[in-house]
Amino acid sequence: MLALFQARKESPRLATLRKLALFAPLSRLELRVVDGLLHERRYLKGEIIFDEGEEGQALYVIISGRVLICRQGEPETGRISEIDAGVAFGELALLDNAPRSAQARAAEDCVLASLSRVDFESLLDSHAVTASKISLQLARQLGQQLRLRAPTADRKPL
Amino acid sequence: MNPPQYADAGASRSLSSGPLVWATTIFCTTLLLALLKQALWLVVPLLLAIVLYYALFPAVRRLTLAGVARETAAAIVAGGFFIAAAVAMVPAVSWLAGNAVSGEEAFFRYVDTGQRLIDRTLALLESQFGFLERIGLHAAIGRKIAEYGGTHLQEHLTAALLGAAAWLPSLLLAPFLAFFFLRDGRRFRNFLGDAVPNAYFERTVYMIERVDTTARAYFQGLLKLTLFDTACLAAGLVALGIPGALTLGVMTAVLAWVPLVGAIIGGAIVVLVTATDFPAQPSIVYAALALFVVVRILDDFVFTPLTVGRSLRLHPLPTVLMIFVGGAVAGIPGLIVALPLAGVIMVVAGTIGGIINDPRLRARHAFARTLRARRITADLQP
Repeated sequence: MLALFQARKESPRLATLRKLALFAPLSRLELRVVDGLLHERRYLKGEIIFDEGEEGQALYVIISGRVLICRQGEPETGRISEIDAGVAFGELALLDNAPRSAQARAAEDCVLASLSRVDFESLLDSHAVTASKISLQLARQLGQQLRLRAPTADRKPL
Repeated sequence: MNPPQYADAGASRSLSSGPLVWATTIFCTTLLLALLKQALWLVVPLLLAIVLYYALFPAVRRLTLAGVARETAAAIVAGGFFIAAAVAMVPAVSWLAGNAVSGEEAFFRYVDTGQRLIDRTLALLESQFGFLERIGLHAAIGRKIAEYGGTHLQEHLTAALLGAAAWLPSLLLAPFLAFFFLRDGRRFRNFLGDAVPNAYFERTVYMIERVDTTARAYFQGLLKLTLFDTACLAAGLVALGIPGALTLGVMTAVLAWVPLVGAIIGGAIVVLVTATDFPAQPSIVYAALALFVVVRILDDFVFTPLTVGRSLRLHPLPTVLMIFVGGAVAGIPGLIVALPLAGVIMVVAGTIGGIINDPRLRARHAFARTLRARRITADLQP
């Protein structure tokens, strides 16, 4: 009987999602809603996730592995950044409705969670609080990236 | 740096709406309609289930907005609707049982009036145009009607009643299908999205969304259109003092779901009922006819653009063509489903056309397959 009042243990899948910075502030219920919208995709090392100039329809979060962001077809010379598990990418195309600004390749075997533009927009409509938490995390991540790319002298909070 | 041409999504999109896509859309729609004809018992409940799904979807969305889990929201909304429908059916069935005899009498009264109306119109036409009398139009049509009423009607009526009796159990499928659409619709979308290779994933997700948006816009628009039509016709008929205005309004608005033929049958019913109930007042019959024409004009030029509008994004020429093909291939159900079916197939064919015309996507898919093959056979090299 007491079990009814005890906090239920989070499923391994939700626990994995909670470790991702993008979904860290979500409650269990919110996480369940978001989980229903996510697609899990597996990529082998070297596989292209999206091309520069492509119409972006989804953002990705790395569950495991690493992803290389580079200029189109220049994984060695046109390298922009390499991102680790827990970080989201491909969000710019969703936010400003513009084509992909760079190519994304799997730097090693990776598992990604993908949230489509349509699902993100429907989340904004139906679960505004959840969507705003995710948007805030996205904004924080973008701010962090901007600071990292700026010259050292300019790394002051605005 | 400008993006390379092969990665330009706009270019592939313009290719996707080429003549091949149009031809594929018309061919696939015709083929599907021919297949649907073989399973009409399933088409009607499926169509009703889709209409129910889109009618109940906003309520499920509201509940999920309030924090209810989607499965629970689907169960609450579908359960509530079925209980309400069952409660409404009880008095309706008892009323029908009580009025069966008077209903039958009324039916034959309307049929008689219709026949007299045709007789009078033909006689008037013959008196106005002598050549019609010379070719014996009135007598020929009279013979045809008598012949049809004598044998054909009995045969067709029996067949229609037997067909309806066979279909009735399958109609019970509609609420169950609607419930599962509401509960598992998103799961099914995710299932489809997960089934495609990585290279085509984003395009597929976009296509699924467009299919859903197209079907939703069409069916929700159709429901709103039915409400507008019912309200206008019922209000007009009440103003003219015609009994059963709401029933007539609902009947003609639902008949309008069948393109072209539905409007003609609806108009005929309104004229028939008015002519029977007001035999000595032809002005009311003309007023009812005028009201029907005005509502049709409003429907075509105001309500339809506001509701169904350009949800299907089909050119008028293939639209009319698809209506005729639908009618020729699958009869009345074909007329109803031809347009939404063509709209959905157009989206799917456009996306597949876009993928076929995008060598970069195909090359990425081939590259991913090579990577996988290499991985699988890595320890099998001699």
